[in-house]
Amino acid sequence: MKKLLLATAVTLLSSTAFADVAVIVNPANGNAIDEGTIKKIYLGKAKSFDDGTKVNPVNQDGNSVSDEFNDKVVGKSSSQLNAYWSKLVFTGKGTPPEKLANDQAVIDFVASNNDAIGYIDAAKVTDKVKVIATF
Amino acid sequence: MKKLPIALALCAAFVSANTLAEVRINGFASIVGGKTLDDDTTLYGYDNDISFKNESMFALQLSADLQEKLSATAQIVARGDNDFDAEFEWAYLTYEFTDELQLSAGKMRAPFYRYSDFLDVGYTYRWVRPPQSVYNLPFSTYEGLSLLHNTQLGDWDSTLQVIYGSFDGDIAVVSVNGDTELNDIAGINWTLAYDWFSARAAYFVAETTIDIANDTDAGIALNGLEQALRGAGFVDQANDIAANEDDGSFFAIGFSIDYNNILFDAEYTEFEVENSALAKQTQYYTSVGYRMNEWTVHLTYENNDDKHDSNRYNALPAVPALNAGINQVLEGVKAKSNVYTIGTRYDFHPSAALKVDFSRFKDDITDTETDVVAVAVDLVF
Repeated sequence: MKKLLLATAVTLLSSTAFADVAVIVNPANGNAIDEGTIKKIYLGKAKSFDDGTKVNPVNQDGNSVSDEFNDKVVGKSSSQLNAYWSKLVFTGKGTPPEKLANDQAVIDFVASNNDAIGYIDAAKVTDKVKVIATF
Repeated sequence: MKKLPIALALCAAFVSANTLAEVRINGFASIVGGKTLDDDTTLYGYDNDISFKNESMFALQLSADLQEKLSATAQIVARGDNDFDAEFEWAYLTYEFTDELQLSAGKMRAPFYRYSDFLDVGYTYRWVRPPQSVYNLPFSTYEGLSLLHNTQLGDWDSTLQVIYGSFDGDIAVVSVNGDTELNDIAGINWTLAYDWFSARAAYFVAETTIDIANDTDAGIALNGLEQALRGAGFVDQANDIAANEDDGSFFAIGFSIDYNNILFDAEYTEFEVENSALAKQTQYYTSVGYRMNEWTVHLTYENNDDKHDSNRYNALPAVPALNAGINQVLEGVKAKSNVYTIGTRYDFHPSAALKVDFSRFKDDITDTETDVVAVAVDLVF
């Protein structure tokens, strides 16, 4: 019984520590964007939406939301991702998405840019942005 | 060094011409300490006294996004083995025709090998240095054009690059200081990547001229023979010794795997300068690694084997002394060696890695072994 309680406590703790990540775009963005496309956008492989608009992705700066997103969606650790982007940056082949400080900064950016895509803690979603996927 | 002010002025011109240009600064650095383990041995620039200078380097990259799909990039590199004198190693303009097609012009890295493009960015690979038996062409940049085409073929990413240009500089081939001119460098390389797998092939040609200096025994022997042949009227044989406007060719094929924390890399290369005393070189390495969270361990085997076509020998049977000289020089420029490297990488910080490599180099011609150990901190910023 004690073990069960402990297990429940651990599960509860971990589910609060690792909240879901919502991928958001501007409400005016009507493009269909699946998980594979999100990954490609964040690896610099997809540079435009289906309608031809240039994608303007933003990251979060080394916090738990970005760790969660990198792990669940991109499938790389922060070191691996850093090495991946270094290969592109130092050969002039790509630039990593700009890093914003927190969920609110990402919401503000996405709400005011039609070509933006970002990710935030799913609990922080507001009606200023459109959720296209939750992980 | 004289190129630095020009490139700096160019950058300044681009930046000031368009005050809206966004200039990004990135950098990378490697601090490496290493030594050989026995007296009177040298390898990779190290001797038996520990050096923190030999392989250490520091680099800054400036990139300016000008509007209308144009960007300018410059990389300033200070290398320990060059007394940390800062030099522009890359300086080029890029025009993006589409998301898939871009053209660059200027001074850039010659994409011979899989890791060529980021050869100096130690943070991007697991070794202290990429396998030197393969990564042994003594120059790494060229001046010219590069056309890059990226596309997706189903689930595969295809990267096709075509280059054209030239190189002019001092490189170490046979002698230490060989004034070298490569003209009409033309090359193509193609990489196909699928999530955890990538394969690559490259082919380059260049009109190759190398003035070998009299600063090594092999260099003195080679130049002495060439003069003796010329003096005796054997012009064809002399031309077959000198590397003077001869056809050089380079071929590389390789693949790499990064699957469930298992890493595997292999590359095979061939290099040849026709009608010269330089031997046809074949090199390869295979490397396995295993990643455990922040730690990576790896083991690498490299092999280098130079050969001359058998018809190169005994080119002058009528004159035994010169004939023997030709054979001797052909043998003298040959190298045959192998290297085992075992090492580990620890990602102690999101932007920095600590590495330790131990390498044992075996020269199969002199039958000697040299051990070198190196500790590196690689970072990107």
